[in-house]
Amino acid sequence: MSYVGRDIPLDSARGHATGESIFLDDVPPLPGELFVGMVGSPVARGRVKRLELEAVRQLPGVAGVFTARDVPGHNRFGPVVKDEDLLVDEEAQFIGHPVVLIAAESRPVLERAKRLVRLEMQELEPVLSIDRAIELGQFLSAPRKIERGEVDRALSECEHTLEGVFELAGQEHFYLESQISIVIPGENDTYTVHSSTQHTSEVQALVAEVLGIPFSHVTCICRRMGGGFGGKETQAAQPAMMAAIVAHHLRRPARFAYSKDEDMRFTGKRHPFKIFWKAGFDSSAKLHAVDLRLFSDGGFSTDLSLAVMERALLHCDNAYYIEHFRAVGRVCRTNFPSNTAFRGFGGPQGVAAIENVIEEIARQTHRDALDIRQQNVYRDGRDVTPYGQRVGNNTLPQLFATLRQQCSYDERRRQIARFNSQSQTHLRGLAMTAVKFGISFTRKALNQANALVNLYLDGSVVVSTGATEMGQGVNTRIRQIVSDELGVSYEKVVVAPTSTEKNNNTSPTAASSGTDLNGNAAIDACQRLRRRLLEVAKPLLSEKLGFDVPIERITIDQNLVFDQSKPQEPIDLAIVLQQAYEQRISLGERGFYFTPDIDFDRNSGRGTPFYYFTNGVACSEVLIDRFTGELRVTRVDLLMDIGRSINPGIDRGQITGGFIQGMGWVTTEQLMYSPTGQLWSHSPTTYKIPNLSDLPAVFNVSLLPNDGCLQSIRRAKAVGEPPLLLGFSVFAAVKDALRQASGGKRIDLSLPATNERIALALQQAILAPPPAPQPAPSRQDPAVVASSQVP
Amino acid sequence: MRDHLVIFVNGRRHELPRSLAFEPLTDWLRYELRLTGTKVVCAEGDCGSCTVLVGRVRAGRMEYATVCGCIQYLFQLDGAHVVTIEGLKYEGRLNPVQEAFVACHGAQCGFCTPGFVVQLHALLEGGASDEPAIRRGLTGNLCRCTGYEPILRAASQTDVSQMRRLEQLFPMPPQLLAEMQRLATEPVLITHGPHVFCRPDSLAAAAAARRQWEPLQVYAGGTDLGVMFNKKRPEAIRVLSTAGLPGLDSWELADSRLSVGANVRLSELQSVLRGAIPELAEYLEYFGSPQIRNAGTLAGNLATASPIGDMIPPLFVLQAQVVLAGPDRRRCLDINDFYTGYRRTGMQPDELIERVIIPLPRPDEILRLYKVSRRKDLDISTFSAAVWLRLRQGVIVDIRLAFGGVGPVVIRLRKTEAALRGRRLSGETLQAVQPIVRGEISPISDVRGSAEYRNLLAANILRKMHAELAASATSSNGQD
Repeated sequence: MSYVGRDIPLDSARGHATGESIFLDDVPPLPGELFVGMVGSPVARGRVKRLELEAVRQLPGVAGVFTARDVPGHNRFGPVVKDEDLLVDEEAQFIGHPVVLIAAESRPVLERAKRLVRLEMQELEPVLSIDRAIELGQFLSAPRKIERGEVDRALSECEHTLEGVFELAGQEHFYLESQISIVIPGENDTYTVHSSTQHTSEVQALVAEVLGIPFSHVTCICRRMGGGFGGKETQAAQPAMMAAIVAHHLRRPARFAYSKDEDMRFTGKRHPFKIFWKAGFDSSAKLHAVDLRLFSDGGFSTDLSLAVMERALLHCDNAYYIEHFRAVGRVCRTNFPSNTAFRGFGGPQGVAAIENVIEEIARQTHRDALDIRQQNVYRDGRDVTPYGQRVGNNTLPQLFATLRQQCSYDERRRQIARFNSQSQTHLRGLAMTAVKFGISFTRKALNQANALVNLYLDGSVVVSTGATEMGQGVNTRIRQIVSDELGVSYEKVVVAPTSTEKNNNTSPTAASSGTDLNGNAAIDACQRLRRRLLEVAKPLLSEKLGFDVPIERITIDQNLVFDQSKPQEPIDLAIVLQQAYEQRISLGERGFYFTPDIDFDRNSGRGTPFYYFTNGVACSEVLIDRFTGELRVTRVDLLMDIGRSINPGIDRGQITGGFIQGMGWVTTEQLMYSPTGQLWSHSPTTYKIPNLSDLPAVFNVSLLPNDGCLQSIRRAKAVGEPPLLLGFSVFAAVKDALRQASGGKRIDLSLPATNERIALALQQAILAPPPAPQPAPSRQDPAVVASSQVP
Repeated sequence: MRDHLVIFVNGRRHELPRSLAFEPLTDWLRYELRLTGTKVVCAEGDCGSCTVLVGRVRAGRMEYATVCGCIQYLFQLDGAHVVTIEGLKYEGRLNPVQEAFVACHGAQCGFCTPGFVVQLHALLEGGASDEPAIRRGLTGNLCRCTGYEPILRAASQTDVSQMRRLEQLFPMPPQLLAEMQRLATEPVLITHGPHVFCRPDSLAAAAAARRQWEPLQVYAGGTDLGVMFNKKRPEAIRVLSTAGLPGLDSWELADSRLSVGANVRLSELQSVLRGAIPELAEYLEYFGSPQIRNAGTLAGNLATASPIGDMIPPLFVLQAQVVLAGPDRRRCLDINDFYTGYRRTGMQPDELIERVIIPLPRPDEILRLYKVSRRKDLDISTFSAAVWLRLRQGVIVDIRLAFGGVGPVVIRLRKTEAALRGRRLSGETLQAVQPIVRGEISPISDVRGSAEYRNLLAANILRKMHAELAASATSSNGQD
C-alpha cells in the first residue's frame, strides 16, 4: 500500500491540538540558564556618543553585559555578503541595531536592566526611502538584468504604449513564535544551539564564526518553528549569535527571545519595491514589449536581497509571453532592518508588476483584463521565457480557461457591471490573475540535500534531513515517502529533529523546495537500503518458498517481505533485518540529491534556473463601500496545478494559507513608520493580518489534475509559495472596481490597497481629472544610467 | 483581611504568595506551573493564542468565559477557576474539537492552535452551531498559516455530541462553589514592594483604601490596563478592583432605560442590547473580540477616555448618564459633559463609575452607528460615528451627531446638528453642512489613518447614512 497521495494528518497534529508540542520557549530553563536581551540603537543611523553601563552591572541578577568589543570571533557577518555588524561597532545602521547585550538571571531582571542602559547617539542622516537611496546612488548591488529582443525599438514602434510607476510596500512575516534561540555550552569549547530556524547550517556557521571556533564545534538543532515564512531563513541567526556570546563568556546556558514588538521592530520584512514600467501593445491588446525598472529596499545590509531581486526579475513575465522584454533591478541600501526572505521571495513583486500592467492596459483599452491575459498567456510556439527557459508541461492556458468557466466569470462580469451602475452605496470588482512560480533556488549550489536513514532491528526507522518543520508538513511528507520506499508502516517511521550533527551543509528550508530536495535525498538513502535488504531477503525467501525467487519480484510492504507471486507467504521484515545484522551489513544510509538539468548564468541573465513551474489562477471578487472605502473580499476561486499531490490535505492547507497571506499583503497589512524610521505598527494592535472574518464567504479551492510533471518527486509539485502570489488577484479586483467607478480614468493605487487608499482613490476617481503619471527616471538619472550600462 | 490569592487551575487549588499577585496569568501558567500549552504572542490581547477559560461562581453555579490570559493579571483571578488547553483533554484522550483539528488540518505550525481549540470548545459548548456564529466567535484568534479555512472546517466537523461540558469535566461540589464565591468577593489587600492590590467590599471601604494607598487605579476588566502593564512595565502596579463592590455586576431594563453596573462584561451587555438597542448590539460585535468582550466593561471603556473609545459616540447621542460614586455622595453626569480633554474626564480622584444609564431610543428615533477601521474585526477605530435622528416626512426634526477619531476627545457636532434641524434630509442639505462639519473636527494623522482620510470619512458618513436610509426605505416600500 502507498502512503504517498493520502490525506494524512500532520505528524505533529495531536501535539499541536493538545498544546503538548514543544516550542523553544516551552523548554524549561536548564539550571543556571541566563536570559539574554539587547538594547539597540534608538536612531536609524548614528554613532554611539555615550554608553553608561555601570547601573546595569550593579543591578542584582545581572550576570554580564557585553558590547562589540566582547565578540570573540567575527562581529561582521552576512549570509551572502559580509556587510552586517552583529553588534554596533562604528555606526548603527537601523533602529534596534544591537549595541549592548545583557545576561540576567530572570526575565524580570532582564527587563529592568534594559531600562538602566544609558545610551546616547550622535545622529546621522538616515536614508529611509527608495527614492532617497536612488537620489544618493546608495545601492547594495550593481544592476541585474533579464532581457530579450529589442525593447526600445519595439516600444517606439508599438501602436500603443502605456507607462507608470507602481509602488509595493513590505510585509511583516508575523510568524506567531518570535525569534528565539537557546545556546548551551559543552565541554572542549563546543556548543549546542537550539534555534527556531529554517536554516540550521547557517546558524551553526554564524555561531561558530562569531565565537571564532570551527563549525564542527557547534551543533544546531531545530525541532520545529511556530511559523517561518522566510523570516527565519537568515534572521534566526542573530538571536543565536547573541546568546552564544553570553554562553561563551559566562559558560552558562543562555536564551535569547524577542518579544513580538521587538521582533517586528528589529527584524527584516518583505522588500518594498518601486517599479517603473512601460508597455507596448497592439489594438488587440497583444503585448509586444515591456520595459521594467525595479528598485527594492534592501534595508541596511545585503542579506538575501540580491537573490530576492533575481527572483523578482525572473517572475516579471509571470504567465505571459512577451517578445521584447527587459527587466532591470537594483537593490537600494537604506537604514531599515535588513529586508529578507518572505514566502515568494521577490516573486510576488515581479508577478504584481506585470499583472498590474495588464490591469492598466485593460483600463486604458476598455477591454476585459482576463481576455488580455488569455491572449498573452504562454502557449505552444510562444512558450519561451525572456531568460530562455521553455515553459514545459504548460498548464496555464488550461487553468485560465477552466476557471473562467468554473467560476462563471462572464456571467458575474455582467452582473457586476449591472450592480455597479445601480448601487449608490457599494462597488464591486472582479479579477483573475495567474502564477507561474519557478521551482529551484536560483543559486544553483543550494539545490542539494542529504538525508540520513537508520533502520532498527525491529523494523522501525529514523530519518533525518536538512528540512526544517514550520507547519508546512515537510516532515509528514518525508515520513510518507520513506514509509513507501522501505515498505514499513507509517507508524514505525520517525522524522528526527533537524540537526547539523546528522545533516551537514544543508540548504535552508525555503524556495518551496523542502520536500523536493530532502525527500529525494531520503529516497536515495532508502533505495540503497532497500537494495541491500532485498539481497539479504532473496535466499531467505527462496528457502521458505522452495524455489529461487528473482530479486526483481521481491516486494517489501507493510513490514512484510514477499515474492509478488506469493504474497500470502511473506517473511517478517524484522527477520530480514536480523539476518542483515548477523551478516554485518549496514542498516543505515546517507542519501544525497541534487537537482539535475538546471543552470542559470547570472551575468547574461539566461539559462534554465528552474526545474519546473508550479502554476495556478485565482479569481477574486470584492465589494467596496463607496463612502468609506472599506473592502470586503466576497468570493475567491482558486485553481492550481500542483501535479500529483503527496498529501492533498496538507497541500490544500498550503494553498488556503498562502492565498490569505498574499491577500493580507495586498490589503490590510500596512507597515507604518514615523518620519525618523520608527516602526509604528509593531504589534497586532496596529498591524493587521487577515482575521477569520476576512476569509471570503465563498472560497473554492480546486486542483487541476496533472500527471505530467515527470521529473519532480512522485510527480508532485512544490506548493509552499505559489498560492501566495495569487493573493494579488484581490488587488487586481480592487483596481477593476476603481476602473468601473472612474469610467476608465487613470487612478493611482499603490500596494497595499487599504480602506484608506481605496477611499481616497475613489474620491480621486469621482472628483478629479486624471493626474499626470509620475515619469520614469530619465536617462540622466544616475541610478538608471548605471542600470543601462549593464553589458 | 486576606493577603494572598487563591486560584484554581484545571481543578487544582493554588495559594499564591504575594510576590506572584502582580504577574500576568500566562507567565505563571507557563513558567511556574509549566502548563506551556497556552502560548503568548502579542501580550496585548490581540491574537488569542493565550486563550483560556475563566470560571466564576454566578447564581450558585460556575459560569465560564474565554479571555486572553496574557492580559489577565493574577490578582484579577482570585477565587476563579482557570481552565487551560491541558484541562480540556478527556481522560487523556483528545476531545472532539482536537480530533477535528487533527483530521481537518486545522493546525500547521501549531502555535495558535491551543488558543483556537479552547475558544472553539467554549463556543460549541455555548451552543454556537452555524457557520456565521462560529466565524463571529473566532474573530479573536489569529492564525498566520492556514488561511482559516481548515479551522472553519474543523469547527463544522467537530462531533458535538461527544463533547463534555466544563461542569462535567470539573464538577464543583456545593461547598467548593460557596468557597469560591466567598474568595472572589471578600476583601483582599495585597502589597508587595511598591505594588498594591486592593479589593474592597463596599464603596466606603473603597474610598478609605484610595485615601490610604493613593494613587490607585480603578480596575474592572483590565483589558486596557493589562496591556499597559505588559508593555510599559511600570515600577508599581497599584490597583483598586471593583470586583468586590456589591451591585455593580447587575443590569436593569426598566422605564425605557437600561442601567448597566460597572462590572457588567461587554459580552453580557451585548446580549441585553440585542433586544433593547439592536443597533448598539451589532456595533458592539466589532468591539475588540469575544475574549476582550468577555473581560472588558462598558464603564472601563468610558473611563479610559480615549478619543477612539468605541462606546462613547453612541452613548453621546443617546445622552447616557454616568453615575459616579464618591466617598459620601453619588452624582449623575450627562456623558456629553463627562470628558474634559485628551484622556481626561470630569471624575474626581475619589470617584468611580458605578453605573451607566442608557435611555432606549423610541420607535420613531433612528440610531445609526459606524466604525471604520483598517480591518473589520479585532481592530481599533480609525473613525467612528453615531447618528441619532428623528425625521418627519423627510425633514430632520432633531438630530445628534458624535464622531470619534477626529479630535482629542469624542466630539458632538452641535453646530452641524443645529444647521441640520428643520432641514430636509437630502444630498443638498448634507452638502451644505460639509463646511460646518469640517469646522467642528480636527483630525490628525496617525498609525490608524491620515487626517485626509478622516476628513473624508467625516464628510462621507452622513452621505452613507442618507444612502442607507434611502435604500432601506426603497426596500420596505418594495415589500408594501
